[in-house]
Amino acid sequence: MNETTTSDGGWRATVEPSRAAVSAGAAASLTGLRKSYGEVCAVDGVDLVIAPGEVVALLGPNGAGKSTTVDMLLGLTKPDAGEARIFGKSPAHAVSDGMVGAMLQEGSLLEDATVAETVGMIASLHRRPMAVAEALRRAGIEDLAPRRCTRLSGGQKQRVRFAVALVCDPDLLVLDEPTSAMDVATRREFWHSMKEFTEAGKTVLFATHYLDEAEEFADRVVLMRTGRVIADGSVAEVRAAVSGRTLRAVVPGAVETDLLALPGVNTAELRGERIELSCADSDAALRALLAGYPRAHDIEIKAVGLEEAFLALTGDAREAQR
Amino acid sequence: MKTGYLVLEAKRALRNPRFMFFTMVFPVVIFLIDVASFKGHLPGTTQSYASYLMASMAAFGAFMAAMNTGARTAVERSAGWQRQLRLTPLTPRGYLLAKGGVGMIVALPPIVLVALVGLLAEGVHLSAAGWAQVVLGIWVATLPFAVLGLLVGQLATAETMQVFTSGLMIVLGFLGGILIPTTVFPDWMNSVAKVLPSYWLADVGHGAVLGNQDLGRAALVLGIWTVVLAVGVMRRYERDSART
Repeated sequence: MNETTTSDGGWRATVEPSRAAVSAGAAASLTGLRKSYGEVCAVDGVDLVIAPGEVVALLGPNGAGKSTTVDMLLGLTKPDAGEARIFGKSPAHAVSDGMVGAMLQEGSLLEDATVAETVGMIASLHRRPMAVAEALRRAGIEDLAPRRCTRLSGGQKQRVRFAVALVCDPDLLVLDEPTSAMDVATRREFWHSMKEFTEAGKTVLFATHYLDEAEEFADRVVLMRTGRVIADGSVAEVRAAVSGRTLRAVVPGAVETDLLALPGVNTAELRGERIELSCADSDAALRALLAGYPRAHDIEIKAVGLEEAFLALTGDAREAQR
Repeated sequence: MKTGYLVLEAKRALRNPRFMFFTMVFPVVIFLIDVASFKGHLPGTTQSYASYLMASMAAFGAFMAAMNTGARTAVERSAGWQRQLRLTPLTPRGYLLAKGGVGMIVALPPIVLVALVGLLAEGVHLSAAGWAQVVLGIWVATLPFAVLGLLVGQLATAETMQVFTSGLMIVLGFLGGILIPTTVFPDWMNSVAKVLPSYWLADVGHGAVLGNQDLGRAALVLGIWTVVLAVGVMRRYERDSART
């Protein structure tokens, strides 16, 4: 399976043909970005261009290099090689101009300050901040203003951090796992407050490992794995790929070409008597399988995981190009 | 300089009642205990032990307050707040000025309190210039320690910060002659002491009492320490992005 994980530039070009044209006025652009920590290569050559107004989800399992990529985009970490630009400027310049706001993954709040003071402190450091009350309203936490940050729930803290990110009135918002501490209802509310920001035509890059979040709120999804971008496409493409299922079973006497010919089957793998079918329509495939091989047993059907979905996506795109 | 930011930081520091209580009361208590054990006059002078100990404890209180305030930045750094600060236009210099300023603000009350106890309860007599040197002189001489505390805060984690500061305070306090007089040291230790900023902090206070001062040298050594440590803090602030 590993050979399918390498990124496919040709495929990406067909998805977003305007990307090169857009790079001149990009909200964010990463070129050949690399970063190693000792022996571990956290980010291994990431190229990414985000157009103004795009809402992009950076998806990937833990350790994929999402946070390191975000840190380099923000100028918190110096890349070993490559370059990050925000609206054509260096990250430090963009930060100093208040063009970028960020909600970092593990960033906690000051224990001895109130919500209004915390947001006010960050506002006081920016040149053209929005009013603190406005930032609190947009984050939906006006009522929390006089509360100490220590006395907030996990979800409330995240909202305060959202207000901290918003208060510089940025054009680009970068969020690293913004909803990881939220329950489902709070997550929904959070994304609702996000809408106001994106509807104003602003750009958002958010890292997440929730596929549903990416599907629902992003225009575009970028998948990272082991420090590389392995897929980059529209939400529609992701949704199509994710609708698939994997069917595993033990099938005595199975023949690979026959399995591939079953209805609803995209790919088939055969190891001894164990088969693994990736299916567009697992119901149809299962009926046909049982009809053709009544001795099939230990049948297991699973929704395609995030990673498999993207692998399927890259794989299919290649087939289509051939 | 972002004054709004400095005001909020100062408010945070002064709000912590336990920290402020400990910072102000501890030097006064040690002062009173010491005075009870050392009566009379310093050998060969007309000054009482109380006046000498007052200068020592004012210096010690200021030094402790400044160091601890700076070192506490390790907590917000470990919590990731400093990464958030680095996403604002706050420069390393602005950070140093604001946080160093807070350390200096917190360092003043213990000096004033020990001096007041000296004046009102222990009958210490000093000239107006002597009092000015005990209060303002010691306060200004605390500057390198406010910066040293910040450097500890930039290098240590929330867990190791306490060990670092306590260790430094003991070494600097004893070797520098704040907690015991350097006159009891052998010669080689005396030479070592003269390189330490704490020696000159104590000297500014004791000089006010004994009248034998070398303020020029004190300013030079304390100035060099301040600059070197400040460069360390700014470099570290600029580069430290570690997610902890």
